Parts: sequence; C-alpha cells; structure tokens
Amino acid sequence: MSTTAAESVLSTITGIVAAELATAPGTIDPDLDLRSVAGADSVKVLRMIARIERAYDIELDDETVFTVTTVREVTEVVERALAEGAAA
Amino acid sequence: MTASTEDTRTAPAGTSGKPLADVLGGAAADDGHLRTPWTVLEDYQCFGCSPHNAHGLRLRFRERPDGISTTFQLGPTHESYPGVVHGGLLGVICDETMGNLIVLRVGQPAFTTAMRVRFLAPVLVGAVHECRARIIPGADGSTLINTEADVVDAAGTVVATARATYRPVALEAARDRIQISDDAAGRLARVLAATADATGRPLADQPVGDEPRGGQLPNVPASEES
Repeated sequence: MSTTAAESVLSTITGIVAAELATAPGTIDPDLDLRSVAGADSVKVLRMIARIERAYDIELDDETVFTVTTVREVTEVVERALAEGAAA
Repeated sequence: MTASTEDTRTAPAGTSGKPLADVLGGAAADDGHLRTPWTVLEDYQCFGCSPHNAHGLRLRFRERPDGISTTFQLGPTHESYPGVVHGGLLGVICDETMGNLIVLRVGQPAFTTAMRVRFLAPVLVGAVHECRARIIPGADGSTLINTEADVVDAAGTVVATARATYRPVALEAARDRIQISDDAAGRLARVLAATADATGRPLADQPVGDEPRGGQLPNVPASEES
C-alpha cells in the first residue's frame, strides 16, 4: 500500500473514530490508547469496528478487534485486510 | 411479535422504479405491509415470516427507500439471558429481511450462502426494534448478491449489524431443494415471475441496489449512545 493510500486509510479511520466519540478528527492522536479516552467503552469501539468494516467491505477477526488499542493499530489491521483481499 | 407503528413508505424499490406493493398485484397487504410471494402458499410455515406458524416470528415487511424493513418486539420466550433477546434470533431476523428483499427484487428464491452478525449491544425483551436491509451493489454478472442489515432500537441506535451473501435460484431449479407441490409451485412461479417482470431485466443484467454504497452505519448522536 502506498504512503498516500495508507494516509487515506488513517484519515478515514480517524474520522470514523472521531464521529463515534463525537469529537473533531483533529483531536484524535493516532497513537492514543483508545481505552484511555473518556466515553470510549467497548460498545463504542465495536461500533467503530462495524463502521470501518462496512466502509472497507472487510471482515476483521475478533481476535484482532479486541487486541488493537490505537487508531494506528486499527489502520494497520485494515491495511493488512485490504492487502489480503487484493491478493485473493 | 407486534405490528410496526411506522408510516407506510412508498419509495421505489425495484430497478424499474415500481413500488414493491405494485409489483405484487397492488398488494401492499395489510396496513402498508408488503405481501411476499410466499403468501400464495396457504400454509407456508416459514419460521421468520409466516403468519401461520404459531411458533414463528411472524415478521412483516415495509418498503424503505433503499430496501425493506421489519419491526419486531420479542417476548421472554425468545430470551437467552434474562431479559435479553437471544442473539441467534437477531440473525434469523436479519437473514429473513435480507433474503426477502432479494426475493422481492429479483423474483427468485434466494439461498443464504454466508452470513455474519456483529452484536453491538443487547436487545432487550419487550423493546421495539427495527431491522433494515439493503442490497450492496456488486460486480456485474455475479450470481451472488451481497446484502447488509442493521438492527436499530427505537432511538435509532444500531445494536447489531449483519452482512450476508445469497444465491438466487430459479424456482424450477430450486424444486429439488424445497418441498412443494406442483400446484403450489405453479402459483408461486406466477407471482415470482410478476416480481421479475416488474424489475424488467434478467438478474445478471440488474444493478442490484438502487444507491451507491454509503459505507457508513447511521450516524448516532452521542446523546443517544448507550
């Protein structure tokens, strides 16, 4: 995945996370542990994942979903899923 | 199961732009609910949508601008943990809504080949929920149809999502997989053909889904979050 494409994924995911947390995308630090964000409970994290899966037409393994903690990690997981989908 | 309290929706549903109610013989059945092709079978027992199955969910459907929906309110006989609706039944409801959407769109029985449900929050016994299904536009010429569904609570908060793949099969070809008399098959074939005629083109030529895929769950204001 090119740098531009990766940045696009990061931007999209940041937007989804921000929307779910009802905050501005600019306030989301990609390396921030989402579990430390006030209001980011497990239900909201699952909603984020559901939105991300739908946006990219992918299915993420729950083993992965429940281990990622930051937006950057989520982005990396999505990039891998997209790459695997492209290779299939 | 209770009847929906929402207003009747009359937006176009088929690729021809005809409301599904018109497709099915002018039969927005009772109080605005769609009449599915199965209603020509006097005693069909579908667990999801038959009005004749005392143990079933008796789902009824309404048109939406981008698909169909069903409203449901399940009781304690459908719970898993006390007060919580059994998750498997949400799968049934999503499958039923997505599957009937395809039948109504293409005029063929559709067999589920895969389905995945994400459970985002518990669905409580006694609470009114709605399942909304739509078709995901797919590759031209594909014999498979992908769909997605959201289960939302009364506030519009998404509590479950589903994605599934279906394979529509011509009724004649499906006869070896279902048990149906020749007479009933004839009646069903006629109403399915009417549905297909209304959509105007063979399945392979039809762009499934009327709108570009949004890629988003409905936005939910933070104040409505559970």
